Amino acid sequence: MPDAPYILTRRSFLAVTTGAAAAAAADRLFGDTNRTAAKPDPALEQLGSVALAEAKKQGATYADLRICRYRNQTSGYRLSPQRGSSVTDEVPFVNDEQSFGFGVRVIANGQWGFAASPNVTTDEIIRMTREAVGVAKANSVAQSEPLQLAPTKAYVDRWTSDFEKDPFTVSIDEKLELIHGAAVSVKKDPKVFSAFGMLRFHSEDKYFASSEGSSIQQLIVQSYPGLRATAVDVKNGLSRSRSYKVEPQSAGWEAIPKANLGENAPRIRAEVLEALAAPPVTAGKKDLVLLPSHLWLTIHESIGHSTELDRALGYEANYAGTSFLTTEKLGTFQVGSELMNIFGDRTNAGGLATVKYDDDGVLTTKFPIIEKGVFKHYQTIRDQAHIIGEKESRGCCYADSWASVPFQRMPNVWLQAGPESVSLNDLISGVEDGILIEGDGSFSIDQQRYNFQFGGDAFWEIKNGKKGGMLSRVAYQAKTTDFWHSCDGIAGPGYWQQFGAPNDGKGEPAQINAVSHGCSPGRFRQVNVLLTD
Amino acid sequence: MFSQQDAKNLIDKVISYSKLPDCLVSVDWTEDASIRFAVNGITTSGYTLTQNISISSSTDDKRTGNAQVTEISDDALRRGVEQAEQMARITPPNPENMPPLPPQDYPKLANFDTYTAAARGDLLIPHVKAVIDLAKSKNLVSAGFIERTANAVAVGNKKGLFGYHTYTDAEMSHTMRNREGTSSGWAAQSSVTLKDLDGGAAARISTEKCVRGVNRKKLDAGKYTVILEPAAVGDLAGLLGFSFSARSAEQGQSWLSKKGGGTYVGEKMFPEYITLRSDPFHPKLSSTPWGSSLLPNRKMSWIENGVVKNLFYDRFWASKAGKEPTSFPTELVLEGQGNSLEDLIKSTDRALLVTRLWYIRMLQPKTSQYTGLTRDGVFLVENGKVTDPVTNFRWNESPVEVLQKTVKLGTPIRVTGGETGTQIVPPLVTAEFNMASVSDAV
Repeated sequence: MPDAPYILTRRSFLAVTTGAAAAAAADRLFGDTNRTAAKPDPALEQLGSVALAEAKKQGATYADLRICRYRNQTSGYRLSPQRGSSVTDEVPFVNDEQSFGFGVRVIANGQWGFAASPNVTTDEIIRMTREAVGVAKANSVAQSEPLQLAPTKAYVDRWTSDFEKDPFTVSIDEKLELIHGAAVSVKKDPKVFSAFGMLRFHSEDKYFASSEGSSIQQLIVQSYPGLRATAVDVKNGLSRSRSYKVEPQSAGWEAIPKANLGENAPRIRAEVLEALAAPPVTAGKKDLVLLPSHLWLTIHESIGHSTELDRALGYEANYAGTSFLTTEKLGTFQVGSELMNIFGDRTNAGGLATVKYDDDGVLTTKFPIIEKGVFKHYQTIRDQAHIIGEKESRGCCYADSWASVPFQRMPNVWLQAGPESVSLNDLISGVEDGILIEGDGSFSIDQQRYNFQFGGDAFWEIKNGKKGGMLSRVAYQAKTTDFWHSCDGIAGPGYWQQFGAPNDGKGEPAQINAVSHGCSPGRFRQVNVLLTD
Repeated sequence: MFSQQDAKNLIDKVISYSKLPDCLVSVDWTEDASIRFAVNGITTSGYTLTQNISISSSTDDKRTGNAQVTEISDDALRRGVEQAEQMARITPPNPENMPPLPPQDYPKLANFDTYTAAARGDLLIPHVKAVIDLAKSKNLVSAGFIERTANAVAVGNKKGLFGYHTYTDAEMSHTMRNREGTSSGWAAQSSVTLKDLDGGAAARISTEKCVRGVNRKKLDAGKYTVILEPAAVGDLAGLLGFSFSARSAEQGQSWLSKKGGGTYVGEKMFPEYITLRSDPFHPKLSSTPWGSSLLPNRKMSWIENGVVKNLFYDRFWASKAGKEPTSFPTELVLEGQGNSLEDLIKSTDRALLVTRLWYIRMLQPKTSQYTGLTRDGVFLVENGKVTDPVTNFRWNESPVEVLQKTVKLGTPIRVTGGETGTQIVPPLVTAEFNMASVSDAV
C-alpha cells in the first residue's frame, strides 16, 4: 500500500494530506501513490540491483529480491453485557499495523537459500544476500536433485488491483460510525446476547526483481467487512451465533456500502434468535442445497488443496499433507459429476488471490483444474512444473511476508455456474428431505483430502420442495469424490458469488494466503448429515 | 539481538514522542534459522530477522489506539506514536480499558541457550541428514522441518513499567512415508535448547511406525478405548485451556457454565488424578516473565485433583468480579502418573493407539465439542500388545470428556502440537472415544 498519511477524522483529512505528513511520506519507499505509473519506483529498482549484483558475485545462479510493505487496519465494536447485568457495554477497537522489509532468495549449488530483514538498507541487503547464498551452499549437501526452474519471460511492469476508493483514505471515525450503527442494530433486541462488527482492510505493496531481468511493482488492496450476533439461553444451556459474512474481495472502500451492513443487521438479529430456538436436525442421509457463502469452503478444502502439485509430490507431507489426487490420475480421474467445471485463476476480478505476476515473477493465468468432473491440471510453480512434464508454471507462487519463503499457494479456485435457466428455487424444489445451508461453520478434512466434515452458519429444513424453518446442530460428513459425484444441480450465473478467506494456512514455518472461491448454489444428493452436540 | 539497553532505549524513545497520558510499548525481536525438507532432500530454508514494535496509546478517559511498525528509524517510530495517539483521540472510550500498570517485579526465567541462539546450518543439517539417511536406507520417503529461534521481548509504559527477557526455542518434526503411499509415521521433538533434539532417535520412531503401519486393518467407526500419545494429548489440553475464560463461563457460554447460571468452579468434574496447571517456570518451556495482562507470570492450577480450581480473569473482568487477574491458560502442564507408554499399552486389553491428531475444529463451544482426525499411525492394542495397524478415523469428541473418561496417565513430556502450541503432557488411556467415521487418508 502506498505509505499514505493516516486519515483519522474527516475534518483532519485536508490538513493531513497537504501538510508535513505528506512531505514525510515522500522519503519513504512506496511513497508514490501514482497508480498510473507504468514502471517500478527507481529507488526500489536500485535496491533490487544491489541484491542481484551481490548474489552473482557470491556465485548464485539465480536470485530474486522482494521488498514489501503490508498494512492491516482493523476497526470495530463488540457490544456485550456487563458482568451480572443486562446493561450493554460498547467496546470499540482500532488497530493499524504496518510491516516493511525485504527477502532475498537465491539458487547456489542447485539449492534454494533465503534470508530476510526488516532493515531495508543497501548494506543490509548485501549482508543478507550473502547469508542467503551461504544457506544455499550449506544445504546443498542434502539436496535430492538440483533445482530446475520452468522458463518465464522478463517483465518490467507496475500493476494495481482494481479499487475505486483507497480504504485507508477513509477516516477512522467514519468507519467506526458505520460499524457501530450496524452493531447497535444487531444488539437492538435485548434477547441478543452480544454483537460484533468489524471492518478490516489489507494492502500489499510489493517490489520484485529477479536475475532474469524482471522488475515488477504491484499493489493489492483488500476489504473484509463482517457482522456477528450471538444469543445465549442460560436456562437451557444453549449458545448460537449468526454471521453476516460479506464477500471479502480485492476491492476498496466501495465494497463497504455495497455490503449493506445496515440492512443485514436486523436480519441476523432475527435469525440468531430463531437459530437459538431451532429444533435439532435428525441425522441421516439428506439432500443438501449449499449456498455460495458455504460452498466456497467445501470447494477450497476438497478441490483447492487436493490439486496442489506440491502436496501431491510430498512436499507438504509433514504438515498440510499430501493428496488423494496423485500424479498418475492427472488427465483421467473422474473426481465428480459432469456438472463440475473448476478453474484455477489469478486473473478474475475481485479475487483475493488475483495479481498480475506471482512471487516467481510469472504472469498469472486462468486454467482448468476440473473439466466435466475430470481432473485436468495441478496448481504449479517454477521449480516443480517440470516434475510432471509441464513446460511453464501456472503462476501459483506466493509468500505471505517479506520474511517468508515463496512457495506454491492456491489461486482463486472457482466453480463454473450452471445453465442460466437453473434457479435456486429449482434446486430447492427438487428436494424432498434436505437442508439449505448458508455461511461457513466448523470445517475439517484429512491430510489427503478424502474425508471431510463441515458445519455451517445457518440451516433451513427443506421438505417437499419448500424451504421451511431453521434447524440446529447440523454437520455433514462425506468423502470428497462421493460428494462431488452426488452433485446434480448448479444454479445459473446470476447466483454466482465469490466468497473466500484471508488466512488459508500451509507450509513450515506456517504461512497464510488469501483466496477466493466463486460458485453458484449447488445441490448434492444423499449426503450423511450428523447431529452435533 | 536487542540487548536490554537497546530495548530500553527504544521504548524510552517511543515514550518520549508520546503526548497522551499513557503509552504502552511492546517490542518483539526474533532471529530464526530453519530448514525444510521433503522427498529425502532439503527444499527451502531460511535465515530471517523480524521485529515488531507495538504502540498502544490511551487517554485518561479510556480512549485507546493501537499501531504496530517494524521500522525503528526515529521517523517511523514517531509516526507510529502519532498514529496510535490520533486514533485514541477520536475513538470513543473503551469501558473495559484498564489503567496502566505501575512497575512490576517480573520473575527471572532461565530459558535462553547460547548454543541454540548461535546455531545455523552446521548444527541443524546433521539432524536433517540423520532422518534422510535412515529414510533412504529403509527405502522410505521423509519430509520435515527443523527450526530454532532466538528471541528478545520487552515491554514498557509511561508509569515506569519495564520488562525485558530473552529466550530460545528449537523444534523438529518429520513424517516418514513408504513409497507405495500406504503407510505413514511421524515423530517430533521440541525444547528450549537444540541440544535436546536428536534427529536420529526421532527418525527411528517414525520409521518403526511407518514400517509397522503397512496393511492397515479397517475397523468400524464407533466408540473405542484409546491410548493417546503425548502429541495428541497436547492438542486436546491446549484446546481445553482456551475454554477457561471466566467471562464465557459466567455468561453461560462454556462447558464451565451451569444451566440456569453459575459456574462449576470448586466442583469435582474429573477423576482425582487429573491436575492441569500453567507453569511458566517449567525449564522446558519458552515462557516469558509476563502474561497477556503484563502482570508477572505465575503458576496457576486450573484443575487440581479433579476439581475445577480457577478461571481465566483478565484485568477488566477480575476487577468486576472482585478477583485477582490471572494469566491466560498457556504453558500447560497435565500431570501424569509416572507410567511409560509401554506400561499403558501393557495394561490395556483392547484399544486404539493414536500417534497424533489433525485439523481439529470446534463444533460447539458451549459443550466444548470438537471434530478432527487421527494421523500418521493408528494401531490396535490387544491384550497388552500392539497388533495390527488400523486406518485413520474422523473423531467428534470433547477434551473435557476425554479427561473425564481418562483411566490412566503416563509421564509428561514437552510436545508442540499442530493446533495449539506447546504443552507438557503425558500419554493417557481414555474410554469411549468417539471415532465418527473412517478416513481413507494415509
